[in-house]
Amino acid sequence: MIMVRAVIRPEKVAPVLAALMDAGFPAVTKVDVYGRGKQRGIRIGDVHYDEIPKELLMVVVKEPDKQFVVDTIMTAAKTGEKGAFGDGKIFLSRVEEAYTVSSGVKEL
Amino acid sequence: MKEIMAVIRQDKMNATKVALAEAGIASLTAQKVLGRGKGNVDYQILEGAGEGNEAALSQLGNGPRMIPKRMLTLVVPDDKKDTVLQVLLKVNKAGRPGDGKIFVLPMENAFRVRTGESSDAALDEA
Repeated sequence: MIMVRAVIRPEKVAPVLAALMDAGFPAVTKVDVYGRGKQRGIRIGDVHYDEIPKELLMVVVKEPDKQFVVDTIMTAAKTGEKGAFGDGKIFLSRVEEAYTVSSGVKEL
Repeated sequence: MKEIMAVIRQDKMNATKVALAEAGIASLTAQKVLGRGKGNVDYQILEGAGEGNEAALSQLGNGPRMIPKRMLTLVVPDDKKDTVLQVLLKVNKAGRPGDGKIFVLPMENAFRVRTGESSDAALDEA
């Protein structure tokens, strides 16, 4: 299993969640986060902002689905056709075990 | 080392903390998160949309709201993993959908900032 963690723009949360739902991946966890990227934040006039509000979405999927989920998030989270700085990052990490608490069953 | 991420009900937070402390696992990080699972999904709508049904397509995307949950993150040595899982499952299992999920991820290394200790020595011994 793979945990997909996507840091995306707050205004892109709704389209991404809708896209994941339509793609058959309803289960998502969302956290408010603040961060900066390799552009070192953003400079507006004389003010430098380096804690930019983002949303972190976490989805755990089976190995064969990972590319599909990444593509789904990527397409929905992009600004315009080409994308823009600040659209976010997607990280994948390995999940060794997953349990459903209500049943105690060891599976996704 | 393992990283255990558990998404649980908010009202189970206190019971979980107490039970973990009794089992000798005192350190944890908690976050308020929003989430949804597969529980509230209307698969009929999903299927209908897959067949191209207009009425079903229009209902997509406004589906289940995000529900407030608590997410616990614990980093434990390999041999404590099963204890933590047992405690978490025992306290949080009510047998109803929405009880939560637990994920176990491998963790490369850990450091204690105060002393610079690394690996298992950096994790709290109860």
